[in-house]
Amino acid sequence: MKRGLIAWNKDEISPAAFRRRLEKVRRVLSEQQLSALVVYSELWRSNQARFFSNYMPYFNRALLVIPLEQPPILLCGLTPRVYGWIRSVTIIEDIRPAADFATPLLQLASERNWTRIGIVDDQQLPYDIFKAIRSGTLQVVDVDSEAVFTPGEDETELAMRSKTAAMARAIITEELPTGVGNVDHRFAGVLEKRFRRAGVEDLITLLTNGRTPPAPPAGTVLEENYSVSLAVEYRGHWIRLSRPHATAEVLVQYGKQFEEFLSGMTAPSAAAAVASQHFIEGAATRPVPAVPRGEFCIEDLSGSYPYEAGSGSIFALHLEFNAGGKRLFYGDTCRHSESGLKPL
Amino acid sequence: MTPMTRTVRPMLNQKRREQFLDLMADTGWDLLLLYGHSWRKDFFRSLVNFNFEGPHAAAALTRSGKISIMLSHPWDHELLAGALDVEAGWAADFGVGLDRLLSGFSHAKTAIAGMELMEARWPDFIRRRIGGEPISATGAIEKLRRFKTPEEIEIVRQAARLADLGYEHFVNTVQIGMAEYELVAEVEAFLKTHGAEDNFMLIGSGGTEVFGMKPPTERRFQKGDNVTTELSPQVNGYYAQICRTLVLGEPSPNQQRSFAIFYQAQQAAQKFLKPGVNISDLARVQNDVFRREGFGEYTGPKYTRVRGHNLGLHVDENPYVLEDVDCVVDKGMVLIAHPNTYLPLAGYMVFGDTLSVTSDGCVSMNQTAQKIFVKEV
Repeated sequence: MKRGLIAWNKDEISPAAFRRRLEKVRRVLSEQQLSALVVYSELWRSNQARFFSNYMPYFNRALLVIPLEQPPILLCGLTPRVYGWIRSVTIIEDIRPAADFATPLLQLASERNWTRIGIVDDQQLPYDIFKAIRSGTLQVVDVDSEAVFTPGEDETELAMRSKTAAMARAIITEELPTGVGNVDHRFAGVLEKRFRRAGVEDLITLLTNGRTPPAPPAGTVLEENYSVSLAVEYRGHWIRLSRPHATAEVLVQYGKQFEEFLSGMTAPSAAAAVASQHFIEGAATRPVPAVPRGEFCIEDLSGSYPYEAGSGSIFALHLEFNAGGKRLFYGDTCRHSESGLKPL
Repeated sequence: MTPMTRTVRPMLNQKRREQFLDLMADTGWDLLLLYGHSWRKDFFRSLVNFNFEGPHAAAALTRSGKISIMLSHPWDHELLAGALDVEAGWAADFGVGLDRLLSGFSHAKTAIAGMELMEARWPDFIRRRIGGEPISATGAIEKLRRFKTPEEIEIVRQAARLADLGYEHFVNTVQIGMAEYELVAEVEAFLKTHGAEDNFMLIGSGGTEVFGMKPPTERRFQKGDNVTTELSPQVNGYYAQICRTLVLGEPSPNQQRSFAIFYQAQQAAQKFLKPGVNISDLARVQNDVFRREGFGEYTGPKYTRVRGHNLGLHVDENPYVLEDVDCVVDKGMVLIAHPNTYLPLAGYMVFGDTLSVTSDGCVSMNQTAQKIFVKEV
């Protein structure tokens, strides 16, 4: 759960980065003749509102409202007693309490004489909020997230994700050798301490001794050639990373094979095509000749969820290798750029 | 160091299955869908206790008792299919997965627990698939889940014990000059080391300028601070909670006087809680202590959220302990009574235990001393 340090370091993300992102939103609003854009946020799905405002709720839900001409407004499910803290870590000044979200949104629209607003991917709103907003008289237009939320094209976003990935790789490189012989819970505790002291907001640790895919710790002792798969959130920026316990030489080999496999995926669309076939078949894994054991998993990290099976402009690729009958997992977060697919 | 808890393999909650089938018979529902996403896995886990990575999972229960499961990540699918003898599938596009899960159920009277949490497009898919309007089962399932089975109470007891140990570690670790987030890192590491699946934790530090708790900041602890925390470790899906206040250094007379009010309020709740009483009165007996002391205005929403809440597969289950909530307490409920609020005497303070309602009262599931903690500096 998001319970680490939630902060805004302006040396990492300048106010100008948010201004640029909001300018893009306002261009879309203007083109589509909309008075405001609504972005949903909650404890887990905080990527989009964070991108525009640095708002990341530690609990509850919220709607970020970006008017065409005025500063953003947050309709917030959290207590007003934390609004000062929210102001200190976001670009938002105008924060209003919200219980059912639709009522304050409709009131705001009425107050500002808005008759037509947009909602980012409105069909992905929680059903109760969607239904309540749609039951009002306000004209609501679905705005495709790809028109405004473009993390894969945003230099600041990519820099932050790269920083997060580098931090994760450094910690894992140091800690992987300490896992063997330890109970998985204890190793998860070691990682928890390292990452949270480094300022990480959230950390999900999955582990496997090579007989199953990575899974939450279950009280088992980690063996030689175990693998760890992490989801790390730093300043709201998620990355995924998988590494097996192996010698440095073997890890270098896996890294090379990972890059070769990645270079064979010429574009996210190609990855998506392979992935979707793989997914629709419903099989857990699908043979791919380029990978020694021949199995892989792709996750999208460029949507509203931290990560989900699928492909996007920022994505995680986890390859599966075989060593002595064990399944070893090696994966990184990658991006699609003009020069191809590259690890962050 | 050995973890104090062991994560169980994915399992079906047979008692809940029986209850859900009875509910389906009473209501005439042909199909009950239990939906969960990464933040709110609780409806799904109330029947299939599997900690999916997600972000989505749904279990479909038919009137004949058959369970089918749809997941959204291949690793989840492989792990669950290898552990439970149920029909399980997965789909990256969860709408497609739901459509597949519900194939063969056209014209089935379908109820969904967690429907409000679903992406808006999915109830529409379901409507088209079943040829009718799905019904929300959220309230009915929450009502059943409010009362824990003996097995569930035992798991919450383990979580409460872990909360005690976590708080002991919190007390041992906190020191002047340490940042809030550094302390949280230490406590999170401790809880994970000892088998916590997850933990919900808030913290506050300072004096009368502090109006609540929130995620940790870079603020460094100072002599005289109240350091407040709410620890909520999750064990095998179930949360317990503990709230305590610690003072760095000798507490001032105002800190002592303030805490005495919180202590009396929590004790009033613990003495009052038993089958047959109303949740509204559980809030009232706590608030009355503040009123008697002349601090009634600090029991409202400007200064506090709730006077407690139910616990279980979600950390903040209803009913919320508030004077305007009408809900009769019964045996099997597990809740925390916490009169946490701001008082001008010494700022925001917290105090609360996880309470299990028995046949004639309640017992605290925590063993941590019920006092204001003091850390010598």
